[in-house]
Amino acid sequence: MSDETENRALLPAGLHDLLPPRAGQESAAITGILEVFAASGYEQVKPPLVEFESTLAGNGANGGGSLSGQMFRLMDPVSQRMMAVRADITLQVARIAGTRLAAAPRPLRLSYAGQILRVRGNQLRPERQFAQVGVELIGPDSVAADVEVIVLAAEGLNAAGIVEPTIDINSPALVAHVLAGIDLGEEAVQELRASLDRKDLGATEEVLRREGIAFSDSAKALCAMIETVGPAAEVVEELKSIDLPADARAEVIRLADVVDGVRAALPELSLTLDPVEYRGFEYQTGVSFTVFAEGVRGELARGGRYITEAGEYATGVSLYMDSIMRALPDAESGSRLYLPAETAVAVGQGLRANGWVTVAGLQDVADIEEEARRLGCSHYLVGEDPVATRDTDS
Amino acid sequence: MAKKTDKLILALPKGRILGEVLPLLKRAGIEPEPEFSDPNTRKLRFDTNDPGIEIIRVRAFDVATFVAFGAAHFGVAGSDVIMEFDYPELYAPLDLDIGKCRLSVAAPQSVVAVDNPARWSHVRVATKYPNLTHKHFARRGVQAECIKLNGAMELAPTLGLCRWIVDLVSTGGTLKANGLVEIETIMDISSRLVVNRAALKTRASTLTGWIDRIRDALEDGRDAA
Repeated sequence: MSDETENRALLPAGLHDLLPPRAGQESAAITGILEVFAASGYEQVKPPLVEFESTLAGNGANGGGSLSGQMFRLMDPVSQRMMAVRADITLQVARIAGTRLAAAPRPLRLSYAGQILRVRGNQLRPERQFAQVGVELIGPDSVAADVEVIVLAAEGLNAAGIVEPTIDINSPALVAHVLAGIDLGEEAVQELRASLDRKDLGATEEVLRREGIAFSDSAKALCAMIETVGPAAEVVEELKSIDLPADARAEVIRLADVVDGVRAALPELSLTLDPVEYRGFEYQTGVSFTVFAEGVRGELARGGRYITEAGEYATGVSLYMDSIMRALPDAESGSRLYLPAETAVAVGQGLRANGWVTVAGLQDVADIEEEARRLGCSHYLVGEDPVATRDTDS
Repeated sequence: MAKKTDKLILALPKGRILGEVLPLLKRAGIEPEPEFSDPNTRKLRFDTNDPGIEIIRVRAFDVATFVAFGAAHFGVAGSDVIMEFDYPELYAPLDLDIGKCRLSVAAPQSVVAVDNPARWSHVRVATKYPNLTHKHFARRGVQAECIKLNGAMELAPTLGLCRWIVDLVSTGGTLKANGLVEIETIMDISSRLVVNRAALKTRASTLTGWIDRIRDALEDGRDAA
């Protein structure tokens, strides 16, 4: 037998045990986020971990297609149908809104928290299982709804302990509108998308030149848009000065309104705008956003406007707990109080009612302080009073 | 864990490109401390004339990795390295117009004379770029078995490790000296300024400021030439 099969500590790639205090910290963060969502009228739903592949995969229009390669599948021996483990919860909530809650009044505000499982991690996010917490706002197609979700994302992150998130507002529709004005083959569009994703102006110009359209208005607009990235208020002004087709112009005005709305609600928030960001927004149809934090790799959250399978307007946000946990400092272990074995039950109850975390001794020990230290307690009880445990070194 | 530094970390590649990058950075207003050019120094991090910028010197392939993971905020990497890793967290906003060469397929003259590429289903290639090589051959319906080497690629065909190599070519001198012929170009390469995606968002004004200054320095250089 190889070493790998013998070592019981080894888990499959991308799966982790979360230990104290991180596991407690994560569940406290999730609770905090859900409370913020609940306080704004979002009611929680809890879809199952596994459902029929056909409902989970969705379709190209609502983005299910892009995650279909990321789902673990298993055969249901009962129904003899293929089932899949969810790789994202958004589609499940949209399904609930379109079916069981189809008659509920709109705007429909739903929140959720749960674990998701993906076939592959990547280098920046090796986790294959992580918690996703989010909201979906179904029904309205308005600036007010866009603003509400972005503000809620920021407030939720604050509650989780992310003090200064940066929210990057994007518009996948904007580039699509500009590209619609250019007559290009499928392959050239792919190439153009790839160079836009890398913000590679040189490569973009090269594709446009090769296709013989470097001097068209759309080409100029694209090249100008690549360089507009940064603080939202400035980028909006730059975008307004670029010569864009009419539907792209309408999108810019929408972006400007959303930026104004968010800035009015949260003037201190670090808000940037990147009009060419497209990766991962394959199904978003309007104002979208990604959340970053300084010094943390990857995205903490992402969200935006889409159209549900039932054809309703919707917007929402998903917070990714793995990235959020990477951004949080290590939890300080709180005060723990050691109760010697003979302590009366009522005394312990009283202390817990006053906020103490108690650790009960189950048998008599010679040195109570030593025992408290061994169990990682910051205090121990003498009579009815907590006394701080001294450091052995001092 | 979140590590907060106020300084921006700039990753530069060791070796050939460095000599071309430094004058450009100098025009943009970044000059490393004198120890940076001391070949015997054991230091890996260097201060610059700008208190907000620190330079690290790493292998060319590692620049992309340091920047993609956010360990460095920006850097200089060849488009070969950028395409080989294809990190989604990397922006490449500026073509620095230096370190120009090409990635090419090469083989011994004797092989080229007798082999007909149209009949291949499989080819064994020695290369530093397994991903790019795979993609290139896959596009023409050929499965590439890549043998990853880190240098001296030209030796592989002459000693029978494989018949084909995919490697960087600038003048073609090394190939010729080893009896190899350049068969086709996979891509043209130049050095790019690369920027970490999250850093560009969270430190937007500082980083775009530097990108603009380096862009201006590039244009000054072109005007002078």
